[in-house]
Amino acid sequence: MLDALFRFFFGLSPVVFGQGEFRFAASTGSYMAAAAVAVAAALAVVAYRSGRGRARTRDRVGLTAIRLAILAVLLVCMFRPLLVVKAAVPQQNFLGVLLDDSRSMQIADVDGQPRSAYVKNEFGAADRGLLKTLSERFTVRTFRFSSAPSRTTQESDLTFGGSQSRLGAALSGVRQELAGLPVAGLVMISDGADTADAALGDAILGLKAEGLPVFTVGVGRETLPRDIQVGRVITPKTALKGTTLMVDVVLSQSGYDGRQVTLDVEDEGTLVSTQQVTLPDAGAPASVPVRFTMNEAGPRVLRFRVTPQEGELVIENNAREALIDVRDRKEKVLYFEGEPRWEYKFIRRAIPEDDNLIVTSLIRTADNKYMRQGVDHADELVSAFPKTREELFAYRSLILGSLEAAALTGDQLKMIAEFVDRRGGGLLMLGGPRSFAEGGYAGTAVADVLPVVLDRDQVMAKGTVMRLSVKPTRAGAATAVTQLGPDEARSAERWSTLPGVTAVNRVDAVKPGATVLLTGTDESRAERPMLIFQRYGRGKSFAFLPQDSWMWQMHSSVAVEDLTHENYWRQLLRWLVDGVPDQVEPALTTERVEPGEAATLTAAVVDPSFVELNDAAVMATVTGPDGTIVDIPMSWDGEEAGLYHASIATRAPGWYEAKIEATRDGKTVGSAVTHFRVAPGDAEYFDATMHAATLRRIAEETGGRFYAPSSTASLADDLRYTGRGVTTVEEHDLWHMPIVLMLLVGLLCAEWGYRRVVGLA
Amino acid sequence: MAASATSIGARDPRVEYDGRLAFTRIQYGAQGLTSGRFRREPTWAHDFPRADFHFLKILGELTYVKAVVDEGNVLRLDDQELGNFPVAYMSEPGFWQPSDSEVEGLRSYLQKGGFIIFDDFRGNHVDNLIDQMRRVMPGARFQKLDATHPIFHSFFEISTLDPRSGYYADAGDTEWLGIFEDNDPRKRLIAIANNNHDLGELWEFSDTGYVPVDLSNQAYQFGVNYVIYALTH
Repeated sequence: MLDALFRFFFGLSPVVFGQGEFRFAASTGSYMAAAAVAVAAALAVVAYRSGRGRARTRDRVGLTAIRLAILAVLLVCMFRPLLVVKAAVPQQNFLGVLLDDSRSMQIADVDGQPRSAYVKNEFGAADRGLLKTLSERFTVRTFRFSSAPSRTTQESDLTFGGSQSRLGAALSGVRQELAGLPVAGLVMISDGADTADAALGDAILGLKAEGLPVFTVGVGRETLPRDIQVGRVITPKTALKGTTLMVDVVLSQSGYDGRQVTLDVEDEGTLVSTQQVTLPDAGAPASVPVRFTMNEAGPRVLRFRVTPQEGELVIENNAREALIDVRDRKEKVLYFEGEPRWEYKFIRRAIPEDDNLIVTSLIRTADNKYMRQGVDHADELVSAFPKTREELFAYRSLILGSLEAAALTGDQLKMIAEFVDRRGGGLLMLGGPRSFAEGGYAGTAVADVLPVVLDRDQVMAKGTVMRLSVKPTRAGAATAVTQLGPDEARSAERWSTLPGVTAVNRVDAVKPGATVLLTGTDESRAERPMLIFQRYGRGKSFAFLPQDSWMWQMHSSVAVEDLTHENYWRQLLRWLVDGVPDQVEPALTTERVEPGEAATLTAAVVDPSFVELNDAAVMATVTGPDGTIVDIPMSWDGEEAGLYHASIATRAPGWYEAKIEATRDGKTVGSAVTHFRVAPGDAEYFDATMHAATLRRIAEETGGRFYAPSSTASLADDLRYTGRGVTTVEEHDLWHMPIVLMLLVGLLCAEWGYRRVVGLA
Repeated sequence: MAASATSIGARDPRVEYDGRLAFTRIQYGAQGLTSGRFRREPTWAHDFPRADFHFLKILGELTYVKAVVDEGNVLRLDDQELGNFPVAYMSEPGFWQPSDSEVEGLRSYLQKGGFIIFDDFRGNHVDNLIDQMRRVMPGARFQKLDATHPIFHSFFEISTLDPRSGYYADAGDTEWLGIFEDNDPRKRLIAIANNNHDLGELWEFSDTGYVPVDLSNQAYQFGVNYVIYALTH
């Protein structure tokens, strides 16, 4: 529309003005005309100054200005203004046409027709549509692209089945393919949905450096009228078997405001959670907490799915998949308790039923007298609390009970801080007469790690006790660890009926960045933090203030078969060990690799005291879906300490298992197993609207233009004036532009009208 | 058996729970602190309260257990507050005839994680204890413990159990009987019974010279071990 208006007023396309150079082609006559204009101007000034009539001075000045403007326009025209532009010589230049061949082009959001219909109609054959128009002026090279560009010569080459759209790779590939040829520019037909991880920036920089403009045509709608999308699901990469996870599923929609839908979670086809969800308003994504338990070990693909609704344009984006490596192994927790007390007994009692947790405990029963429970061998903890990092870091998590700081040496306190910060372990301090500030921890290395602020001057008076009822905060209600029921409502109901507890530690403030998950209301109705969590360095720390959560087991109001206490502690201890790194910690850049592409595997390798190792021999043994085994050495790249890399070529689709083993001086440092999947991705269907902003950016940054499919009539003309390739110089006179005539007529009318009004006509 | 020399008030002692361990003596039979035709001290109160306080004093001196030392609980098995004190002591279980609600209370207490010590009985009194415990936990059975059981090593190392060492050795050999969760000796001991023995008596008179020091010491060792076991298992 704007283009048409521009052409109407200026007689040329905006592209010509954009590319052209403005000049005057004055002749001798021009200068004579200038003299005549000067005389006419002088006469006009004199006439308006001395003319009779009742006009005021201000009006005479205004009329003189209009007359001078008319003469100025005429003078400019007399000097013959020109637009000099380089135009491509017909059939002497090449044009690269890139056609999006990805799956998202199958979305039928254009008058019930798929986006691909436009591509087929306009570029399906050389004798029709836009391709015909372009071919009349250029030698056209057509490419189709999804993950990479390839030449296409016939309609049947286009399948619209690509699982990715890599706009940057396509542009760079075609630029290189046409290098050395006189190329007028590139034309890209796409919905602009770029699924590549890498930014487009590099490709655009290359095009800019070469001065190669890209003209983009966006197919599809910028909003889908009726669609539900599972936008984002954040799950942990690994989980311990039997762990209950609470995952936020982000839903967005258009056209289904307030609709109730079913959100299911499937673990390898088995339904593990289902719930009714009310959809948010259009354009406002909403986060829905989903709770489920990982009961099967191994690599598990979880599918989060909203039941498709009638009239939905894209149903493929109603489900999202996530890979979780579920580990079936025993995680060791060290519990150091400073006095025999019921909290110790009942925490230990809650865990034995859990096949994946071992609580190894050390309890001080008297001066220098310790009892060990749950030890693996006779020497374990025989000298009480570990004195070396190697010994302490062998555990994945540490619980400090009612044990005063003075019972630990300065180095042991520092070791505990490093256990969290460097080793990445989980630390939990329990409330009790000898813990927190009351136990003298203020100012110690452990206080730095804890999620609460300890003040040695703000402690509970000896013998006093707070009586509290505990309930979850908003953050706690959305966390698996504090869930006591199958859903949020029943969990809140259970918390409200739990018996009260007591606390003997005063905590007035939590650290910035810490999250309060449980609060307690004391007898004066004051709210106090009870369960607080924070990440610290590589690990995490918790503070649990009640000294007698065992009341949730023993109180007369709690039924024998009630498992609240057991579940609470199992969930908390599982969270404590969750994500704690091993000595060899594998990672993959993506959990799903496109068939034929390489997977990038990394492994962080540390020694038993968790100092990074750069001189280890690290080998990845990769087993493919067909059972073939390949050994791939991993190398340290010299950049990040202790980080080793390998690139794994993939062939057949399916599951790949990578077993990584690190050795040093012939001794095993550690090993780890990870999995990844080779399969076509489904990213094409997410955020599957037409991304005009991306296509506009490509065009504008490279000197091209962005078009809607309905406004491509000028595309062929515009391409002539890119200034690239074999060109000829064209001169366009500007004096006879319609806008000039309109301006003159307008000024003359204005002068006449003004004179009539002021009485000079 | 010995009568308490301490005067006992009209109200049953009761400790307000504050997180510390409190000695909890189980009251059974008729209410009040006298019973029978001759208004004798009731059997549940034998050695009360001196035994209780002496034991708590020793427990506090020897271990890091934070215990209430100047008060004690006397609670019935169906008392709503019993769950606040997960270790309980019963004297003279040979005379114990619990009501249905008391049976229910003890069953729930033990299943949730409580621990009970039966003390001060001899001869055929054990038969009544066995009968009543069958009502509490049908299917549960008392099993004879030997010195290898962890309860005899939880604090003091009690390496031998002398069957003639009991306070009532004249009535028969001393036995340490226990009930395990699911009758499985590898699992938690939920009740212990000192047959033909009377630890409470030895605790009560430990400061008088009426009983040999060695016997009192040994009685304290058993008591401390029982409580530490209960607190850790």
